[in-house]
Amino acid sequence: MTRKSVNTPRIRRRTFIAGAAAVAAAVPLRYAHSQGQKLKIGVLFPRSGIQAQIGIDCMRGVESAPEVLKAKGYADFEILAGDTETNPAIARAQAERLIEQGAHVITGCFDSGQTLAAAQVCEQKGIPFSVSIAAAPALTEQGYKTVFRNFPTGPMIVTDSLNLQKELFQVGGKTPQTMVMLHTNDTYGTNTKDAFVRLFPTFNMPYKTLETIAYDPAARDLSAEVRKAKATNAELCMVISRVNDAIMLTQEMVKQRWVPMGIVSAGPGWYESVYMTTLKKISDDIVSTVPWHDPNKPLSKALDVALKKRYPDRELNTNHTYAFEGILIAVDAHKRAGSTEAGKLIEAFRKTDIKDNVVTGPGVRFNEKGQNPDVKMSAIQNRNGKNLVVLPQNAAVTKAIWPMRAWTARG
Amino acid sequence: MNDLTPFGRAALLAFAALLLAVPWIASGYVLSVSIICLYLAYMGQAWNLMLGFAGLLSIGHALFVGLGAYTSGYLFTKLGVPPAVGVVAAVAVAMAMGSIIGYLGFRFAIGGVYFALLTIAFSEFVRILLDHAKFLGGTEGMFLPVSQESRRGVDLVNLRGSTEMYYYVILALAAGAFLMCRALLNGRVGYYWRAIRDNPEAAEAVGVDIFRFRMYAVLLSSGMAGVAGVFYAFYYNNLFPEQVLGIERSIEVTLAPIVGGVGTLFGPIFGAFILTPMGELLTEAVEGFKQSGLIAKNVKTDGVKLMFWGLAVALIVLLKPKGLWPWVCERLRLVKPPGQRG
Repeated sequence: MTRKSVNTPRIRRRTFIAGAAAVAAAVPLRYAHSQGQKLKIGVLFPRSGIQAQIGIDCMRGVESAPEVLKAKGYADFEILAGDTETNPAIARAQAERLIEQGAHVITGCFDSGQTLAAAQVCEQKGIPFSVSIAAAPALTEQGYKTVFRNFPTGPMIVTDSLNLQKELFQVGGKTPQTMVMLHTNDTYGTNTKDAFVRLFPTFNMPYKTLETIAYDPAARDLSAEVRKAKATNAELCMVISRVNDAIMLTQEMVKQRWVPMGIVSAGPGWYESVYMTTLKKISDDIVSTVPWHDPNKPLSKALDVALKKRYPDRELNTNHTYAFEGILIAVDAHKRAGSTEAGKLIEAFRKTDIKDNVVTGPGVRFNEKGQNPDVKMSAIQNRNGKNLVVLPQNAAVTKAIWPMRAWTARG
Repeated sequence: MNDLTPFGRAALLAFAALLLAVPWIASGYVLSVSIICLYLAYMGQAWNLMLGFAGLLSIGHALFVGLGAYTSGYLFTKLGVPPAVGVVAAVAVAMAMGSIIGYLGFRFAIGGVYFALLTIAFSEFVRILLDHAKFLGGTEGMFLPVSQESRRGVDLVNLRGSTEMYYYVILALAAGAFLMCRALLNGRVGYYWRAIRDNPEAAEAVGVDIFRFRMYAVLLSSGMAGVAGVFYAFYYNNLFPEQVLGIERSIEVTLAPIVGGVGTLFGPIFGAFILTPMGELLTEAVEGFKQSGLIAKNVKTDGVKLMFWGLAVALIVLLKPKGLWPWVCERLRLVKPPGQRG
């Protein structure tokens, strides 16, 4: 063995030790807690992984918040962003990171599993958690003292949707006596269908369910399913879909000249911009029940302007508005607490009473469990490529077209 | 220890001391990341036992984690069975599933990538089944009750306590898995596994019962993953089929052994402690650059960590196909050359 070959590894070993020591010294094992008065809000959304597109969309609402809230007189605040990577383990670690970087409030996370993981950290550290989007009821049933949710729970979503349907029939002046449901056969579609079917009897819905038809959302042809639905002669068609299958179902309905009294969607797909831009006029008149914003509220208008300034091609949607409102609740609590101290902020969160907000409902307040009981769903109708709120009536911008017009009678 | 050079021994002791000291010197964030590292190191060891030792590729290991998690979670929430007891049922269920997959795979000579596909198929099948299992929460999730008081102190029977307690639990599991794998690899079964891995026909020709020893590998690996599931359930306290059994969870556990070195004992641990902290440091660095203005704030850097992971795996597969650990061992002379070992 030559001298060189003997020495080389030793030199590298020393280099390695020196390098490792330098890295160890550089690693910030402890972050200093910020004690400044400027509110720091840790924002957690899944900006990578399977839910990346939704998380990124939520961040658009967050990015629009400073401009809108400063104009409303709220103090300057700082956003600390974290990516949950669509993984509860990372959500937990990122919540720790944001808190150690000085976040006084955490907000997020879109997905219930990730939200619950982050909530545990907030509860341990005594940091208020402004839950912007997450529907699992358990989140506010665990006895957490620092968790405040401004989003409808799963059961609230279903019951509100059924109430909105009844109101729609009343306002429209025509009540369907029969209904057929088309739903995706995946987990989302099956579970949502089950939740509705379970509640139909207790809600005393005016229509009789003739048939529920499951279909594969990845199918290339849905003609048989539409034919089957048409054959029931049901007056109302209720749909639980994704966007691609929603487009295919509509095209098939047009082809088979099936014009029910109305099509009501209880989820995504039928109100999305890609649905409306693809189908143009025939996308009109479809009604969707969704967690939405009240376009008549001044703050909604201000948020819409701020969003369009940054993202001209984006229409204000659920992701933007609820993510924004998570920030609004935090800065409002900070304003009333007059401090960034966690205890005072939590107390201020409990006493939240915001009337001037964005989402549908009378405002934001929290019950003893930390849930906003006032948050409401909306019924929106597609009209000329826009989602117009038709119900509840105090949030409506127009009257619903009901029954829907024939496919050929749309200008 | 006998195979290590004096420097290797010192490095191992320093690493062990550092691991023991983490809760005392590190922040909550570093502690959380360390728990992720140790979890991936433990799971990497379980996965490595199948591929690295016995030559059986699994891309559905999240299945066993999920079964362990749901079994212990259900027993705890519905029947009040503590996880210290529930872990037995969790391991039994995970091993039962492992035995089904193993039996089907080995009895019908399904090997290589086809065996991997079998593991994916079962994993997806169980995930969809859990999606529809209302008594386990379905897609709406299963939630394990946790009180504020139980977040303090140490209750190993109910697996309730502080984050520090969870850290030491997963550290003990990772250390135990390492020692068990070391004992197995250096024993008779380890030689049989390696013989089967390198040339199953030759191993069978000299009398090795390849069906039996392959089944041992699958059963042990699935049982270990079942234990990881119990830890997962009681650390995160909520279970969603998509989050626990998703294909990305299965892929995640393969990364540390691939980076560290498939078939090596320390590779999964080394890989986990390289990949996870590097990813976190990268995220930190990018955020820091944004704050300091070196990167414009409007530049989208979402998913930079996942891109780094992808690049790292691609480079390692291309440049160091045996993983980083054998190379590091050689460069730093951590292990004695084969001729000088006792």
